[in-house]
Amino acid sequence: MESATLYSPAFETCLVLAFFLPLLSFILSLTIQEQYAWIVSLSAPVLLLISTVSAYYVGIQVWDNDPYHIQYTWFSVSSTTVHIGMLVDNLAALMLIVVTFVSFLVHLYSLGYMAGDSATRRYFAMLGLFTFAMLGIVLSDSVLLIFIFWELVGFSSYMLIGHWQHKPEAAAASRKAFVLNRIGDAGFMVGLMILWANTGTFSLVELASITNISSWNTIASLCLFCGVIGKSAQFPLLTWLPDAMEGPTPVSALIHAATMVAAGVFLLARVDFLFSPEALLVLVIIGITTSVMAALAALVQTDIKKILAYSTISQLGLMVTACGAGAPEVGMMHLFTHAFFKACLFLCAGSVIHVLHRAQHQQHVHFDVQDVRNLGGLRKKLPFTFLATTVSGAALAGIPFFSGFVSKEAIFTALYEWKGDSFSLRWIIFGLAFIVSFLTVLYIVRLIALVFLGQERATQQLSIEEPPIIMRAPMALLAFGSLWFIVSWNPFAFNGWLMPEAEGHSLFLTIFSIAWVASALVASFFLYRNNILITAEFLRQSFYLNYLYERLVGRPVVALAVLTEKADRKWIDGFLHTTAYAQILTAHIFAWFDRAIIDGSVNGTAYTVRLIGSLTRSFQGGKIQFYVFIAVFALIIFLISSLI
Amino acid sequence: MTIYSFLFYFFEVSAAVAAIAMVFSRHVFYAALFFLVCLLCVAGLYVLAWAEFVAVTQILIYAGGVLVLILFGIMLTAKMGAKPLRVGHGNVVSGALISISFFSLIAYYIYAQFSNATTSGSVLNSSNTVETIGLSLMTSYMLPFEIAGILLLIALIGAAVIASHKSKSA
Amino acid sequence: MLPVTHLLYLGAIVFAAGLMMVITKRNAIMVLLGIELMLNAANINLVAFNYQHAHNLDGQLFSLFVIIVAVCETAVGLAIVLRVYQEYQRVVPDQIDELKD
Repeated sequence: MESATLYSPAFETCLVLAFFLPLLSFILSLTIQEQYAWIVSLSAPVLLLISTVSAYYVGIQVWDNDPYHIQYTWFSVSSTTVHIGMLVDNLAALMLIVVTFVSFLVHLYSLGYMAGDSATRRYFAMLGLFTFAMLGIVLSDSVLLIFIFWELVGFSSYMLIGHWQHKPEAAAASRKAFVLNRIGDAGFMVGLMILWANTGTFSLVELASITNISSWNTIASLCLFCGVIGKSAQFPLLTWLPDAMEGPTPVSALIHAATMVAAGVFLLARVDFLFSPEALLVLVIIGITTSVMAALAALVQTDIKKILAYSTISQLGLMVTACGAGAPEVGMMHLFTHAFFKACLFLCAGSVIHVLHRAQHQQHVHFDVQDVRNLGGLRKKLPFTFLATTVSGAALAGIPFFSGFVSKEAIFTALYEWKGDSFSLRWIIFGLAFIVSFLTVLYIVRLIALVFLGQERATQQLSIEEPPIIMRAPMALLAFGSLWFIVSWNPFAFNGWLMPEAEGHSLFLTIFSIAWVASALVASFFLYRNNILITAEFLRQSFYLNYLYERLVGRPVVALAVLTEKADRKWIDGFLHTTAYAQILTAHIFAWFDRAIIDGSVNGTAYTVRLIGSLTRSFQGGKIQFYVFIAVFALIIFLISSLI
Repeated sequence: MTIYSFLFYFFEVSAAVAAIAMVFSRHVFYAALFFLVCLLCVAGLYVLAWAEFVAVTQILIYAGGVLVLILFGIMLTAKMGAKPLRVGHGNVVSGALISISFFSLIAYYIYAQFSNATTSGSVLNSSNTVETIGLSLMTSYMLPFEIAGILLLIALIGAAVIASHKSKSA
Repeated sequence: MLPVTHLLYLGAIVFAAGLMMVITKRNAIMVLLGIELMLNAANINLVAFNYQHAHNLDGQLFSLFVIIVAVCETAVGLAIVLRVYQEYQRVVPDQIDELKD
C-alpha cells in the first residue's frame, strides 16, 4: 500500500465522494419503492451536484502537482499479485470534472425531459451507474481495472439506450451497441493478455516506466486500440452510434457526446507510451478514415440526432488522429471542448423534440419530429434554443472566438508538425483533415438552416413554447462552455492555461484555417440560399456498412447458430439417446444373463441334485432281485480287492 | 477207470448239467424236474463220499418233501389255462456277469488252496455212520437238535397261518 | 480216492447256477428254486470237506441241519408266495414293489 503524502484528508474525502456518490445514487434509485419514486428525482441530481463540487476541488488540488496515487492489493496467486488503486493526475482530473459536470447537467435536464416517464427510477439508477463506471475508468491506475469499468460502462449504456423497452428498435439498437462494443473488447482483452505476458504488470505507473519499444508493443497496443475502435465508434465498428440515437436524448448527450465515446480517446492518452510508430500510423489512418466517412454521411442525413451522431463520430476520428500524430494532449483538448458543445447540441435537439412531442400530444397531430424535412423556421418560436444551437454549432464548426476553433487549431498544428517535409501519405492525411473541417461547417450550417431558418413546414399550425427552465439551464451552461475562454485566454492560441507547454504555433496556419472556415461558411450559405439539397443514398446509408455487416457477419453467424442447434439436437442429443439406448440394451442383456445363466445355474444345480437324488433313490426300486445283485456285487468287489 | 470214478464223474456231470439246464429252462415245471435230477445226482455223490445218511435224508426230505412242496406251489400259482407257464428273463447281463465272476473267484480260490491237497478217506471206511450220527445228535449236538425242532414247529405254524389267511374278497 | 477239488468245483457251479436263477428269473417259484440250489451247493461243500477230513462227522451233521433249515424256509417261502399270489394275481417279483421308496 502506498499513498502520496502531500494530500490532505479533505482531498481524499472529496475524492471518495466524487467517485462513490453516483454509485450511491444508483443503489438508492434501484432499491427505493414505487410510492417513494419522487425522492429519486430529488436525490439523484443532488448527489451528482455534491459529486461535481468534490470533483472540482480534487481537480484544483491536483492540477499541475504530483499525481495522487494509492494502491491496494486485490488478490495474489502464488507469486503474482494484482493491485487495484487510483491514479489522479492532470489527465484524470480533467476528465473527472468533465464527467461529473456533464452528468449533473444531464440529470437536471432529464428531470424535465423524462417527466411522466414510467421508469424514471431505473433511468436515474442507470445514469448513476454509468457515471460511477465512467469515473472508474478515469480514476483507475491499472489497465485491468480500466477494462473492468469499461465493461461496466458498456453495460450501463446498453441499459440506457434500450430504456424504452417497448420499442423494438430501441432493443435492437442497444443490443447492436453492446455486441459491437464486445467485439472491440475482445481485442482489448487480447491486448491485456499480451501486456501481462510481456511485462507482468497492469499498473499504469509501472508500465510507463518501461522505456524500450519492442515488437510486442505494436501488437499489444493495436489490440488495445481495438477496444477504442469499439467504444469510440471508429471505422469499422461505427454503425452502433447512429442506431443508439433510439435512446432518450439526454442519454445521447451524456454518453454519445461527452463521456463514453470519449473513454476510448482517454484510454489512448493514458497508454500513449505503449504505442510504437507503426501502431501510431494505424491510429492515424483509421482516425482520418472514420472522420471523412462520417462527415460525408452527416451531410445527407435527415434525422436531427443522426446528423449529430455522425458528427460525433467524425470528431472522434479527429481526436484519434491527433493521438496518432503523437499529440495525445491535443486529442484530450479537443475531447474537452467537444464534450461541451456536442452535449449542448444534443440537449438543444432534445428540447426541439420534447416541445414538439408535447405539442403533438396536445393538438393531436402526428409527424416525425426528428425528421429535419418536417421542421424549419423554429427560430421565431424557440429563440433560446436557436441561440444555444448557434453558439455550440459555431464551436463545432471551428469559428474563431469559440472553443472548437482553438482545439481544431491545435489538431491542425499537431498534424502539420507530424506530416514532415516530403510529400507522402502524411500530406494526404493533413489535407483530409482540412476537408473534414470543411464538411463539418457544411453539415452543421445545414442542420441549423433546415431546423431554425426559413419557413415553417409541418409545424406551422402548432403552438410551441420554450422548454422549462430546468431544461434550459443546462443548455445555457454548456453553451457558455463552448466559448473560447474555456481553453485559453487568447482566443487564437491554444497554448493557454489548459495546455501551457504546447509548441509549434504557426501563425500561417491560424490565418489559413480562419480563411478556410470563412470560405466554408460562404459555401454553405450559398447552398442553403439556393436550396440545394445534397442527397446520396450511398452516404445516407452510411456507406452501406450496416447492410454489409448484416450480410457478411450477421447472416453467417445466425446460420452457424442454426447449424449448431441442429447439431446439438440431432447429434448430441442423438448421441445421448444412443447411449441411453445402449444402456437400456446392456441392462436387458444383463437381465437376460441374470435370468438365464445365473438363475439357470442355480436352477440347474437344484435340478442336478434332484436328478442324482432320484438316481440314488432308484436303487430302492423295490426290486428284490436287484438287491440281491447289488449285494453279491459288493461281495465280489470285496473278494477281488482282498485278492489284490 | 474204476467203477467209483466212473460213477463219480457221471453223477458230477449230471448234477452240473442239470443245474445249468435249470437256468436256461423257461418252464417252471421243467425247472422243478431238473431240480429233482440234480438232487438225485447229488445224493449219489453223497453216497460215494461215504455220507450215506445225508444222502438218504436228501432224497427223503429234499426230493420227497421240498420238491413236492414246490410242485404244489407251481400248480397253485400258475394261471389256469391252456398255455403252460412261461417265465421271462430279466437282468440277464448283470446276472451272467455276477455268477460267472463269482464262479471264477471261487474256482481260483479252490485252485490256489487245494491244488495239492490230499484226502484221507481211509479212516471213514470202518465206522458205522448212522450210529455215529445218532450218538452225536444226542450228545454233542443236542442243542442244535432241539432248536431245529423248535424251528420246524415255528415254520409249520407260520406257514399254516400265512397260507390259510383268506383274502377279503373271497 | 475221489478228488475233493472236483466236488468243490461242482459246488461252485451249482452255487453260481442258483445265483443266476435268483437274479434273472421273473418268477418267485424259480427264485425259490435258485435258493434251494444254493443251499444244496453249500451241502456239497460240507460233505466234500467231511470226506477230506474224516476223523469226525461234523460236516455231515452240519449238512443235516442245513437240510432242516432249507425245509423250513421253503415251507414259509411258499406260504408267502401263495399269499402274494392271492393278493396280486401274479408272482413276478419285480412287479411287487410296493415297498419301494
